[in-house]
Amino acid sequence: MRHWVLALAVIATATMATAAEPTERPRLFQPPVRPVVPSVKQGHWPRNPLDRFVLARLEAVGLSPSPEADRWRLLRRAHFVVTGLPPTLSEQRAFLADNRPDVYERLIDRLLASPHFGERWAQHWLDLVRYAESDGFNQDALRPLAYRYRDWVIAALNANLGYDRFVQWQLAGDELAADEPDALIAAGFNRLWPDEYNAANLEQRRQEILDDLTDTAGLAFLGLTVGCARCHDHKYDPISQKEYFALQSFFAPIQPRDLPAARSAEWAVYRQRHQQWEQASRDIRAEIDRLIGERQKTARDYTLTRFNDDIQKAVRTPPEKRTPLQWQIALMAQKQLDRAAAEVPNKLPAAEKKRYQQLQEQLARLGPEPTLPMAMTVNDIGPDAPPTRRLIGGDWRKPAGLVQPGFPEALGGGQPDTRLPAGVISTGRRAALARWLTKSDHPLTARVFVNRVWQHTFGVGLVATPNDFGVQGTPPSHPELLDWLACEFVASGWDIKHLLRLLLTSATFRQDSRVDPNNDGHSKALLADRENTLLWRANRRRLEGEVIRDSLLALSGELNTRMYGPSARPELPAALGKAAWAADPRPEDRQRRSVYVLVKRNLRYPFFEAFDQPDLHNSCGRRLCTTTAPQALLLFNSDLSLGRGRVWAESFAESSDSRATVRLAMQAAWGRPASADEIALGERFLERQAVLYRNQGSTAEQSRQQALVDFCHALLNTNEFLYID
Amino acid sequence: MQAHREIAYSRRDFLTRAGAGLGWLALAALHEEQLQAAAPGQLRTHHEPTARSVIWLFMDGGPSHIDLFDPKPELTRLHGQPLPASFPRPVTAMGRTAHTPLLASKRKFARHGQSGQWISDWLPEIATCADDLAILKACHADGLNHVGSVCQMNTGSILGGRPCLGAWTTYGLGTVTRELPGFVVLTDYPEDPPGGGRNWGTGFMPSTFQGTRFRAGKTPILYLQPDEPTTTAIQRNKLDLVQALNRRHQSQRSEDSDLEARIASYELAYRMQSAAPEAVDLARESLATRRLYGVEDKETERMGRACLLARRLVERGVRFVQIYCGSGSKWDAHANVETNHGRYCRESDRPIAGLLKDLKARGMLDSTLVIWGGEFGRTPMSESGLGRDHNPWGFTTWLAGGGIKGGVSHGSTDDLGLYAIDGRVHVHDLHATILHCLGLDHRRLTLMHAGREERATINGGKVIREVLRRV
Repeated sequence: MRHWVLALAVIATATMATAAEPTERPRLFQPPVRPVVPSVKQGHWPRNPLDRFVLARLEAVGLSPSPEADRWRLLRRAHFVVTGLPPTLSEQRAFLADNRPDVYERLIDRLLASPHFGERWAQHWLDLVRYAESDGFNQDALRPLAYRYRDWVIAALNANLGYDRFVQWQLAGDELAADEPDALIAAGFNRLWPDEYNAANLEQRRQEILDDLTDTAGLAFLGLTVGCARCHDHKYDPISQKEYFALQSFFAPIQPRDLPAARSAEWAVYRQRHQQWEQASRDIRAEIDRLIGERQKTARDYTLTRFNDDIQKAVRTPPEKRTPLQWQIALMAQKQLDRAAAEVPNKLPAAEKKRYQQLQEQLARLGPEPTLPMAMTVNDIGPDAPPTRRLIGGDWRKPAGLVQPGFPEALGGGQPDTRLPAGVISTGRRAALARWLTKSDHPLTARVFVNRVWQHTFGVGLVATPNDFGVQGTPPSHPELLDWLACEFVASGWDIKHLLRLLLTSATFRQDSRVDPNNDGHSKALLADRENTLLWRANRRRLEGEVIRDSLLALSGELNTRMYGPSARPELPAALGKAAWAADPRPEDRQRRSVYVLVKRNLRYPFFEAFDQPDLHNSCGRRLCTTTAPQALLLFNSDLSLGRGRVWAESFAESSDSRATVRLAMQAAWGRPASADEIALGERFLERQAVLYRNQGSTAEQSRQQALVDFCHALLNTNEFLYID
Repeated sequence: MQAHREIAYSRRDFLTRAGAGLGWLALAALHEEQLQAAAPGQLRTHHEPTARSVIWLFMDGGPSHIDLFDPKPELTRLHGQPLPASFPRPVTAMGRTAHTPLLASKRKFARHGQSGQWISDWLPEIATCADDLAILKACHADGLNHVGSVCQMNTGSILGGRPCLGAWTTYGLGTVTRELPGFVVLTDYPEDPPGGGRNWGTGFMPSTFQGTRFRAGKTPILYLQPDEPTTTAIQRNKLDLVQALNRRHQSQRSEDSDLEARIASYELAYRMQSAAPEAVDLARESLATRRLYGVEDKETERMGRACLLARRLVERGVRFVQIYCGSGSKWDAHANVETNHGRYCRESDRPIAGLLKDLKARGMLDSTLVIWGGEFGRTPMSESGLGRDHNPWGFTTWLAGGGIKGGVSHGSTDDLGLYAIDGRVHVHDLHATILHCLGLDHRRLTLMHAGREERATINGGKVIREVLRRV
């Protein structure tokens, strides 16, 4: 292997900046080697090898793991971690009544097989790739096809697509599996950057896009802040500025495109239908063209004059004579010319406009133009890439020497393998990047991903800085465990559910989160490791905004579990005015899971925004967790929360037994039976609140229901509802 | 040096981690962004501040410096001619305006105050405050269009994703008030500026520090009250149940200060429900004061209300108030500068002068930094005959109060007002100066994000000492 790298170094040195000495490579930049599973004293505790790594560290400092959490808490924790939804009352009863020894393992299997698993875990990935369904910038235009990428992530996780393919298709689905509709949709990863289609300075825009894409790919797949090397050699990690641009050059040939994502059978049907439609509509279209064709050309020509000479030249150069860069710039400009042309019919003189509308009606009578399912995706501009240059200070106006595609020496370097399946016309660069990232001995890909899975399972990653495995990041708390998991993950065929099953069924995961002040071991552990880095207990976590909303809807019984498809538009506060989207006409469509709620860069759903949703412009590997008054206001006053309390209370309206109501509601909200004290507290509240409503003029019947609504709503504001133990 | 990036070693330890959005009590569980902000009222300044608060009057859309503060006789002389060949031809937002005829200003300029500052007849009231203003005539920025430029004026970058200056301020200084947000955003029209809430967002910083948009009406903050109002007793009883259950829950998890913070956040929210409506109730101001701001006059009412509210908020401890004047890019005079600017100058001149005079009369101007400016200026070349295109290469911003030397003019543009030439002030320099007045060193106010020690001024920024009263 080393010799092979050295042999290629002859080629590589021509383009690469100073390579770090192999001996200087940080440990995490070297391929993981499966470590020996350590032996432990408390041999009865571990349930699988990962527990041995955890226990060995605890024993080394004289600490012990916490006892297993009770079954209520385990059930609730597992539900939220795997599916993001609370266990229903009947799920609670069934789990508690099941005395078979493998009841917990079967629970995990059942949850991992649930379609809600993909919905829950897709959100973690979407944070990472700064997924949104709008452009951002000024217009914040919607991207009507973006949801298909989101749906693909959900489906891929549910189908347990191997992580290697998961990565390959996102980077280069169009190159590696062009006939596979899903692969084209997955390659939409390369389209998720914020955009301003009507920018005047297209060279600058193109460079900003490439920067954004390179930086995001570095963070998401490599867990490295490669973007730091855009302006200068990385200050901390062994990545040179030249290597940054060598990584960027893999993306340099891309061309954003909306393409049909269809199988060959669909294509055949489409071609035939479309041909029929073309024939039937030929005369009408010809007349439309006579009516507006010339004006459209004028509109295009006029719009073109807004651009500088280079851009105008790129557009005017005959297609066969354009350089790859001219092609890219021309296509960017073309979008703006097309928009101008599309405006022409609206500006026709009255008589022509009337005729135009008549023709459109005739056209419509033929039925809609046959289409294929489309994907928001990319392909390369052709078999040749535009040149990539190192930019001094990262400034697009200051190009320096040419840079060829290549991998950072510190990560092992190597020569890109740009081979392509037969018939694919492309540069093969992204395919090469994808192959390199998913080679079994890649130093970072598996480590970075298993750490993400660990983080979303346990609350904190083994590396607490999931997007920074570099020198500035936090070193792994359990380096051997990280390596063992990475090796196990790759050996299992990059099997995500296998990895999750290991984590979820471990004794480490099953620990209680509570600290017992009377337990000497706990007092000692609090002193020695207050942050719980060594995992002597489970971490308590606040639910994310998306999960809180799903839980509100689940409790009230309103959650619409319909999967996939165009996004949901829930109600927005009237105060948002014109900026707000129009809510879906049917209430049930607004009550789908949060992962399906429209993601608009300039108007985040207020509830999610308040609860630390990432800003949708940067890759987010780990969400912040703040506690603020606006969160309290939202949960206490918003219609989202009050309305759910109201509907939930209606489900108890039939019952005249207020004690039973209080008991059931508490158990549903908290996932455990309420104590007698708590029930008494609830009953006293109902009485007092009903009196207050009666004083206001409500009837006895009304006040009883009003108090019940307030009680249910209050439960939705409790910490025990918002946190998982 | 490291004050703002201490490692929050026991992250659950800090109960009162102040932010300000509305927030505070930001128990930020941060590893990636290890940060610790100041507690309420507890300043974490790097040096003695000269300003406690900021009121930023943002002329949304880009006001024309050459029609307001930067007279250009040469432009009048060359009216109707193309841009002389001696000027580099810029890439303009609308593209063609690099080749359109020059357009003279129709405004009359005069010198005002002891200092003799040039101000046009469109701003007669502000002109009476000339000796309080430090006019920066050679500002420049990187964006060409509104969204990128408004974004940069707020966040330092034309690309989204970074915290705005108000967020940096509240991150650095914490809040004084516990009943109001520390950073409030007002608009005179219902429309948002381009980019909307991203302009007062926090990017990669915790949302605790974000600006809160106050809207017109009695409940300025979203979700301040339920849609169907109830009595205080009913609300309080419900809150008492929540808190009783939360305290029971917390008592078995006493090591977890997050839970305690959330209990406190509900009390704060409850207090805010009465504090915020009180703050926005302008009926509590005397008629004379309302007149001073033009609140009683239809034309000036919109901006007058915003300016008066800004003063009330600053009085109540709000640290950073931003008013978008002509919100929704209203100053964007592509078609006709005279009609466009005529209107928005009339709407804002008296309110802004009223604000300066009122602050001064109340002894608040010394501790309140007032900023006036847009995301860019406008071109000397015409657009559509009588309009002007965007000009990020040279434009005017002025500062007043909060330790700023009044009656000075700093920097200059070329003979036509197209390019800033002397005493150039980049957006980063402006930000560095604002932070400086607040007692913060822009090079030391940092936040670790994605492997970089990020700061408000990115890689740039130089304090404009020429306009400081105390250097």
